[in-house]
Amino acid sequence: MIKDFVDIYQNRHAYAKEWKRKHPDSKVVGYMCSYLPEELFYAAGLLPVRILGSHEPQNVTEPYVFGMYCPFSRDVLAQGLQGRYDYIDAVATAYPCMHLGQAFDSWTIHVTQKYFYVDMPNRVQTPYAFPFLAGRLEETKREIEEWIGKEISASDLKTAIEVYNENRSLLRQIYELRKAEDVPLTGTECMHITTANLFMDKKDANKLLKDTIEKELSGRKAKTADDSRLMIVGSENDDIKFLEMVERFSAVIVNDDHCTGSRYFWNNVEMENGAIESIARRYLARPVCPQRDYPERLRLPHLLQMAKDWGAQGIIFLQQKFCDPHELDKVAILNFFKEQGIPTLYLELDVTVPLGQFRIRVEALLEQLREDDIW
Amino acid sequence: MISIGYDLGAAYSKVVVLKDEKVIGKGIAKTTLEPMESVIEARKAALENAKIDEGQVERVGVTGSGRNLIVKSDVSATDVTADAAGVNHINKEIKTVIDVGGEEARAVKVSEDGKAINSAVNDKCAAGAGAFCEAMARAMQVSIGEFAEYSLKSTQRIAINAQCAIFAESEVVSLVAEETPRQDICRAVHDGISERLTSMAKRIGIEGKVGLIGGAALNKGLVESIKDDLGTEVTVLPDPQYVSALGVALMAANA
Amino acid sequence: MEQKYKTAPLRCWNKAKDIRMNIYQEIAEAKEKGKLLIGGGAESLIAIPSGFEHAMLVGEPYGAAIAYVYRENPELYMQIVEAAEHAGYPRDLCAYMRDYLGSLLLNKYIFGGPFPHLDFCLQAGFCDTHSKWYQIVSEIEKIPYFSLDLVPFDWEIAGESEKTKQLKRDYIVSQIHEAIEWMEKTSGRTFDDEKFIQGVMNECDSTSVWAKICIANRAIPAPLDEKTILSLYVLAVIGRPRQDVADFYKECLAEVEERVANEIAACPYETARIITDSQPPWFALDFFRLFESYGVVSVGAHYSFALSGGWEYDPVEKTWNAARTPRERGIEIKTRDDAAKVLADWWLSTGTVCRGVRHSGAGKIQRIMDMVDKWHVDGVVLHLNRGCEGTSMGQMEIMQALQKRGTPVMTFEGNHADPREYDEQRTFARIQSFMETMDLKQIYEFKKEK
Repeated sequence: MIKDFVDIYQNRHAYAKEWKRKHPDSKVVGYMCSYLPEELFYAAGLLPVRILGSHEPQNVTEPYVFGMYCPFSRDVLAQGLQGRYDYIDAVATAYPCMHLGQAFDSWTIHVTQKYFYVDMPNRVQTPYAFPFLAGRLEETKREIEEWIGKEISASDLKTAIEVYNENRSLLRQIYELRKAEDVPLTGTECMHITTANLFMDKKDANKLLKDTIEKELSGRKAKTADDSRLMIVGSENDDIKFLEMVERFSAVIVNDDHCTGSRYFWNNVEMENGAIESIARRYLARPVCPQRDYPERLRLPHLLQMAKDWGAQGIIFLQQKFCDPHELDKVAILNFFKEQGIPTLYLELDVTVPLGQFRIRVEALLEQLREDDIW
Repeated sequence: MISIGYDLGAAYSKVVVLKDEKVIGKGIAKTTLEPMESVIEARKAALENAKIDEGQVERVGVTGSGRNLIVKSDVSATDVTADAAGVNHINKEIKTVIDVGGEEARAVKVSEDGKAINSAVNDKCAAGAGAFCEAMARAMQVSIGEFAEYSLKSTQRIAINAQCAIFAESEVVSLVAEETPRQDICRAVHDGISERLTSMAKRIGIEGKVGLIGGAALNKGLVESIKDDLGTEVTVLPDPQYVSALGVALMAANA
Repeated sequence: MEQKYKTAPLRCWNKAKDIRMNIYQEIAEAKEKGKLLIGGGAESLIAIPSGFEHAMLVGEPYGAAIAYVYRENPELYMQIVEAAEHAGYPRDLCAYMRDYLGSLLLNKYIFGGPFPHLDFCLQAGFCDTHSKWYQIVSEIEKIPYFSLDLVPFDWEIAGESEKTKQLKRDYIVSQIHEAIEWMEKTSGRTFDDEKFIQGVMNECDSTSVWAKICIANRAIPAPLDEKTILSLYVLAVIGRPRQDVADFYKECLAEVEERVANEIAACPYETARIITDSQPPWFALDFFRLFESYGVVSVGAHYSFALSGGWEYDPVEKTWNAARTPRERGIEIKTRDDAAKVLADWWLSTGTVCRGVRHSGAGKIQRIMDMVDKWHVDGVVLHLNRGCEGTSMGQMEIMQALQKRGTPVMTFEGNHADPREYDEQRTFARIQSFMETMDLKQIYEFKKEK
């Protein structure tokens, strides 16, 4: 149920430690980017858990990371330096962006020496990215096998893909429910689900998701047709306090384009030829992060379709302070939505946010959306 | 040997007079748009306090961002070096110094013989630690002393942004609007500043005893937050705002 | 104080300036002479369009030139940089890019006249910004855009598998072929493979010889100071596939070696040596002269050594030497494919700037420590560059490693191409503190350059 996801979100480390206790022969791999092909690690019997920040100011990263790097990357590193992920056996990432890349490099120096680095191509639009990535993932598979001392079989891979595909499909189902006029769950509740999911064994998550869909969400009304419908766009985001503030108004967040949200699970692995090749195709075809969105802008039509399909009336662009990739896309996206006649609000986030100031701006957006009603 | 040390900072001009390495006079004046006026005022106060005439001064040392205002000196050194010399003279056990000025803060590693061996300064985003405290005190409509006292009475920790004073100010405004108890807001401000200061100090590594100097070291609330952050005792040096001037006066005496 | 060493101006310096001016002149005259005018960055594998008659407006030095304008004409600089900000581009983005976009949006070319109309953009995405920068330029100018994905090797210490390296080579080779076919289709012109081959060979020559020039600076006294190095390295940045650049570096190397043999110093009072990190604040290079007033000469930086240099790792000595060119290794380049393979491998194996942008940990630290040893460095100055996240990758870790090792290190915050983010007084105070901690006294009074 939703409360179980809330509990796991709030006690993510307890969940992972308990999983480790129940699987004494296995290992936990902390990872930093949603482009990491988790299926490979899961197929090896490992538990991949996303490393996210804790939204607390800290004073431990400044010796290692330039202050101009985004607050999220520093918050992530802080978790490691403060020992909160002391149960992980390795750290992994696919090439994320420069800031998170720095957090990863510092983590491998000061926190967890065993690491996996997947060279994820940025130019996903070229056909040549596929043979490169497929080959690279074969290497990653070999690296994992070397570490655990056993082979990852074709059957292991098939099972992992099935589990992850089911996870993605269930999350898509939940998102489909949010298209309704009377939305069965708030954006805050959904964020708890999608974020907690990142910390979980997908088998456990799938059971919980099914239960939630069948037993809790069916017939539920969290918000109604009177509430203004918003979509949030940005990098990673688990800014629960911000979402709670927004949804205290007559507003509901119906969809998102975040790396911890829909970008994580939007498309499945379509099995075609071998498993590794199919996984490679999936990661190249998934909704892109900005530093991978060139030369054509694929994000714009995708975001517009999401907004239309979910009836989003306004978009809140939530960008981590100093985040270059999202800043580079920001002008194009805001102009695009302006041309489409969809109001937007652009906010810069840090690990903590000035809720008072943001409240005023959100209210202004909501008033703008209701202008037709007022006038 | 009578020497005089000038620490001409962006916020205040401080002057110390030494006789045979003992402090015999101090003076301070707020830096204005006519910086030389504050230098003269602070010097006058220090000489009066020392009960000597300017003619009796044998050596001159200058430090601080405005040190070039004094054209003739025997020693012109940066705050980093002056801090180390001053701190070491007062307390040789202190190996790491955090100097919290109005506009700039710095951390200095001090050698056995009072030399600066490494230093860090606050980055741009975290500028103005002391000035920020004063601004927040004004916003809360209390004196800086009262601001500190309130902070010490806080019963709950609230996290506010510590990267940027502007962001932090926004958050304070939000907290006030939410009717957060005043003492908790004051504490949150001090915690935020402390995090920036201790982050900066960790860049050069915290070793041995830690000393606090600079005008903002008189703020008991800030000192408490720093102690908490470092998890260690912190020594506020006596007359912390004069330590740099003292250091450069010593250097001049020994030049 | 009496001069410790002889000094003499660098004879070839004027020639370097002439070559640079020629290149800018070619950009100005490209259209008139029927050449393609291509926009892109220095890391866009600029040898690729060698098969066309072309000129390339290389974005980073152009951004630096705009920043330099601040000294003489701050109002013009402000107009330019604010144009980018008014268009919505945040101030913490790459300063080169913001300066460039501002110039483009105002249609004001910093060397006079309107912004040159580019035929297309060709760029390699070696950092998060570059691939998006030229996407934005292409959208503003409504011109075609090709971006090549440059996935670098990891540092040698990481022990990357040969299979992974081959995948990266193949990926780049495929994209080079793709780029050439795309350029032909876009321009309607035929690509000349012979010229491409020559461009690749020149690139290898230029960058290998540049590395030798950097190595010559290990001598005590250093024959070159960093300010001079920056005037010389820029030729490879904007023209490494050119014959005149390759020839120039050979001439320059000969002169530098002559200076070493005759102990001709860049800094006549050389007492201590530093290296810096990241681009310098281009509009305020006189801070090097402040160091020299203390007898401190900056003998180089990973940035300028690596951006223009080809470096080959010696796994036994665990150091980097000037890379052997294909000619030196007996590799023949006969076809377009041969040239593409050589170019891809050269970039991946010998280009360490791109590598440092992706991998900032143990490998980058090893390279800096190696430089400290080999160039007899007494202190390191890290420019915490708010204008370039790429070159500032790993700087704090480098600082920690140097502190641990006992090598004096200082940092100063600034921006390589946005003067508003550089506080000269504060920086000079930091330098003076650093000199005090290194027990160095000022030898003569430093006077700011006008």
